[in-house]
Amino acid sequence: MGWSRRRVLAALGWSAAGIVAVAAWGGARAGLPPLPHRRPPTTADAAFWASLRPDGTVEIASPRAEMGQGIATALRRIAAEETGVGFARVSFVHPRTDRMPPSRATVGSDSIADFAPLLAKACAALALAARRRAAAALGVPVGEIRILGDAALAEDGRAVPLADLARAPLVLDAEAVDGATARSLDPTSARSVIGTAQEPDGIRALITGARPLFADDVRLAHMVFGAVLRPPRLGARLEWVDDGAARDLAGYIGLRRDGAFAGILARTQGTLERALALVETRWSGGTRASQPEIDAAVDIDRDHPDGGSEHGLRDDPVDDEAPFDVALRLEVPMAAHAAMEPRSAVARLLDGRLEVWTGSQDVTFVRRVLADALDLDEARVVVHGQRLGGGFGGRTICTVELEAARLARASGLPVKVRWSREDEFGHAFHRPPSTHRIEARLTPEGRIAAWRHRFRSGHVVFTSAAMGPLLQRATSFVADPGVARGAVPPYAIGALHVGFEDVRLPVDTGPWRGLGAAPNVWAVETAIDALARAAGQDTLAFRLANLGPDAARLARCLARVATLSRWSERRATPELGYGVACGVYKEKSFAAVVAEVRLEGVRPRVTHLWCAHDCGLVIDPDGVRAQIEGNLVWGIGTALHERLELADGRVAAGNFTDYAIARSTDVPSMTIDLVDEGDPPSGAGETAIVAAPAAITNAIAAITGRTVTRLPHDPSRG
Amino acid sequence: MEFEINGARASIPEAMREDRLLWVLRDAFGLRGPRYGCGVGACGACTVHVDGRAERSCLLTAGDVAARRVVTLEGLGAGRTDGLHPVQRAWIEERVPQCGYCQNGQIMTAAALLGAAPPADSEEVAATLDTVLCRCGTHDRIRRAIARARVLVREGA
Repeated sequence: MGWSRRRVLAALGWSAAGIVAVAAWGGARAGLPPLPHRRPPTTADAAFWASLRPDGTVEIASPRAEMGQGIATALRRIAAEETGVGFARVSFVHPRTDRMPPSRATVGSDSIADFAPLLAKACAALALAARRRAAAALGVPVGEIRILGDAALAEDGRAVPLADLARAPLVLDAEAVDGATARSLDPTSARSVIGTAQEPDGIRALITGARPLFADDVRLAHMVFGAVLRPPRLGARLEWVDDGAARDLAGYIGLRRDGAFAGILARTQGTLERALALVETRWSGGTRASQPEIDAAVDIDRDHPDGGSEHGLRDDPVDDEAPFDVALRLEVPMAAHAAMEPRSAVARLLDGRLEVWTGSQDVTFVRRVLADALDLDEARVVVHGQRLGGGFGGRTICTVELEAARLARASGLPVKVRWSREDEFGHAFHRPPSTHRIEARLTPEGRIAAWRHRFRSGHVVFTSAAMGPLLQRATSFVADPGVARGAVPPYAIGALHVGFEDVRLPVDTGPWRGLGAAPNVWAVETAIDALARAAGQDTLAFRLANLGPDAARLARCLARVATLSRWSERRATPELGYGVACGVYKEKSFAAVVAEVRLEGVRPRVTHLWCAHDCGLVIDPDGVRAQIEGNLVWGIGTALHERLELADGRVAAGNFTDYAIARSTDVPSMTIDLVDEGDPPSGAGETAIVAAPAAITNAIAAITGRTVTRLPHDPSRG
Repeated sequence: MEFEINGARASIPEAMREDRLLWVLRDAFGLRGPRYGCGVGACGACTVHVDGRAERSCLLTAGDVAARRVVTLEGLGAGRTDGLHPVQRAWIEERVPQCGYCQNGQIMTAAALLGAAPPADSEEVAATLDTVLCRCGTHDRIRRAIARARVLVREGA
């Protein structure tokens, strides 16, 4: 696959370099529906991520989106560590399809594990290339040159400014990256930037408004505002539309229809909002499903009363002949991403070239969908990724970008489309609901003899939001890996059966922070707690005694959180209880959480959270702590508040007035212990969320004596 | 129709009089501090100061601020050391933001509470901040930053 070096160099500031384009990313399309890019990154990709700019600074053309997880700061640290230029002289460019090769979406907490080592190698190669130039300029061996700040220094004290070394473009290739040796991520090597305190990327702009950051901050000349007409019920088709009443509004541009798609345009957002209220529409079809139909669709007790699941993850036979020590039915509702930034996009179509500005977790996929839908060559579509005001898995498909692009094409004007909060609740995809049955039996010695976990869930990775019914049916032969995530328990178990079924729902569901791991580990850790009580054992000691032989890092987290929270000295009262839970994310990251919960009347309040967290080498300690804090707060929301329902064909919640997330007074202070014991770096974006909800509901159970079997906990049900 | 925005007199186009103040500030004046989060005053992301009080600009029309003094995040630190209000300095020291989208509302709300005479007590701060939503989970850091800012304000920073 070729690409345009000339464009990248021009963007870097070498417009006069006169480099000739080889080819463009993209090329012929094969007539298949666009699919997300899946291939893991390579050294050939990484060659384009790091550059020396003409001013001697280092620039990262990031393949990973910044959405609050702090990846910009982490990648800048790695580049600074590897090159020696210093943190302040490394800049971060959000993912742009004209600056980087196609890349996998920013999902799955894999930016550090899968991308950082390659970026480190690319930066090492860049530093080596710069040192070679300096060595040639000073007439000394390259081994005697090191980079410090804005210059390359020789052992004899002479220096060459990096800006001088960057007079001719310095471009990496796969061979150079392959041949480079990175040291910044080696847990045994000395480091000066990684692991130290640095000012987070962009923080001054965030707290002063000093420069554009988010998609809604993008303003183009002659830009107008667009909105799409939304059906009153999911799946309904537009039959008739009349914008006559809106045409008298000053600044109203008009209605644009393209088959089932219809939108309106206006010169200002205010006129657009007034016009939207005046446009009359008639719709047909669509679902009339309400919550009982959703509940029935994911009901694990329906159709398969005695076992048998579509997708088996572990298939040991578990007999029903002896009674189980624990038999639970567990229920998890649908939940919204509720990122504080409603999505927005700006599109401009000029001379057959489409440019879109958007906050997306997957600019590569957005470009493919746009090119396909507008019948443009991919090389003529540029997606400029912006900072995201929260992603959480919800910005992984193409939505508002295509709406803005269609309206831009229909009007010939640059168009900004802002989703309303009602659009976000009503027309985005959500965390799927699921129900679980867990039955388990103890040995006389208090070990786990048998465990059977069957569950039924809406789709996650095979999301209905991006796949038609046929494509999704075709995937029924393959287990949805997002639904499956985290379901196999980390405990040593005699006979283990884990199986599930993924079902298509009349409402779109898809990836949500932690994917299946958040609900699955909640279910597992709820049942483990019940099993410990059935065995008459301390819930933390029971876990430590029963963790499997491969769970040493998880056991270490449990032991550390026991110390951190002074678990053995805890004093429960009729109103105050403690719960513990632990979990693994993607077999790479580990967390154990202890929750202290106080009952105020019947209402539980989380009064403290402790977390021991192991994501290997910690590149940005403060950033990892922030991610853990966020995960713990999501744990509070999941355990106590979040529930989204369907009512008469539409999502019942329209705004934050109808959907509760954790608020300031719900959030206690948190004590966090970062375990960093020589393992390679993994991920922190969705690890603690697997343990936090169960730690909280187990604390409630410790007070009430009743296992919490439904999320969110409903105090009126006891 | 005139008003004061971040210390400068400005006029609001007559055609925008009925528009939400939020859109006028963002789209006509190019300000980026106040952000759209819910449109119904439920999240606080659009908070601005009107005559020194924290108000939700999605619930006001441009006409509502005629002859009044509006300050946005961009104008909060005007005349201060480094151009930063004590609350903003505390925000950097505590490294509060994650995605950052809600932080305008948190900062503008906190600055109004601490700048009131007398400054709001911590109970009032807690109650008010409960109405400013954050999805990333920065609440504990926000509390720490406000405690730090309270000291800075008292010291006249």
